[in-house]
Amino acid sequence: MDGEALNQAVIALEPAAAKREKADRPAVQVPPEKLAALALALRDEPALAFDLLLDHTAIDWIAEERFELVYVLYSTVHGHYLMVTTSVPRGAPVVPTVSAVWPIAHWQEREVFDLMGIQYDDHPDLRRLFLEDEWQGHPLRKDYKDDHMLGLPK
Amino acid sequence: MGLVTDRLPRVVENIPGGSILITSLDAFINWARRNSLWPLAFGTKCCAIEMLMATGAPHQDLSRFGAEVARQSPRQADFMVVAGAIVKKMAPRLRMLYEQMAEPRYVIATGSCAISGGPFMYNSYTIVRGVDEVVPVDVYVPGCPPRPEAFFWGLMTLQRMIREGESIARPNIRRKPVMAALPQGIKPEDFREEVRRLLEAENEVNVDEAAASKIWLEKVDQWMAKHLIKP
Repeated sequence: MDGEALNQAVIALEPAAAKREKADRPAVQVPPEKLAALALALRDEPALAFDLLLDHTAIDWIAEERFELVYVLYSTVHGHYLMVTTSVPRGAPVVPTVSAVWPIAHWQEREVFDLMGIQYDDHPDLRRLFLEDEWQGHPLRKDYKDDHMLGLPK
Repeated sequence: MGLVTDRLPRVVENIPGGSILITSLDAFINWARRNSLWPLAFGTKCCAIEMLMATGAPHQDLSRFGAEVARQSPRQADFMVVAGAIVKKMAPRLRMLYEQMAEPRYVIATGSCAISGGPFMYNSYTIVRGVDEVVPVDVYVPGCPPRPEAFFWGLMTLQRMIREGESIARPNIRRKPVMAALPQGIKPEDFREEVRRLLEAENEVNVDEAAASKIWLEKVDQWMAKHLIKP
């Protein structure tokens, strides 16, 4: 399935989704409350069959007061890629987990929680992955500061 | 005795008409120590490829300096090669390995990251800016990464330090850290002159005091209490 057809197929599957402009591959954005249902549908729909979550990460759009969560999907059956994004407000970054759909999301969501502070609803074991347990804050946020950091000299 | 005179400097001396054995136990011990330095390879980044793999391979051949026995155990090591950046989470582990080494113990910091944090110095939430915040360092080898020759330069500097340095009467009193930068087009006599200049400068350090003044000691204790010492 080529890029535009893939976008249309996903939007037909979930009418709340919209095409994401500025992407190097087929990309859609969905509201966070539709994410879990769409993830399940993308995996189980035979024509799409996105059975592998390649990557999950987050972008801190601090000027727009939101986090954008990025899910990069791949189908080992059809060999096509899809990027699914969803935006959550910076003040209350809560999204449903997709670790029930793709088990690899279990650790990837722990990493994003550790470094960006996204809260995943119904995640079975949401602990820090890289940093120590007593670490305060989430260092990849654009406004993160601590005593150890040294700013660039003027 | 000519052969022995070359091999055992400061123990056997030439005098007109023959040779004489002088009883200098310090010199003999330091001679033994500096010619069988066993490294503990603490490679965390790309410097480790240059320092610990390329130099140990036959082309560069670390064993020319008697330092090829990398046993990966701090109990058997004489000096630690810190090759790469140290992060906050790694620092207590590094400190603990250092404390497991038998004395006398030496540390060579190779590469920008181990010396100062390197390119990660600014705006980093986790890098330790220089391994000398964690353990006392004897020789710094600058570079990003240093060439194997530069590492040998640092190792030979450490050997000179050991030869000129400690004595039985004053254990753990050493010369201050030496920056062993390898200039272009270096000749052996330049090397000798430079190392002599560095070592003859008025600088000494008490390794025990330097080690005890580190804030990381507390962190090691906390870490050990949390992870290892469970009654």
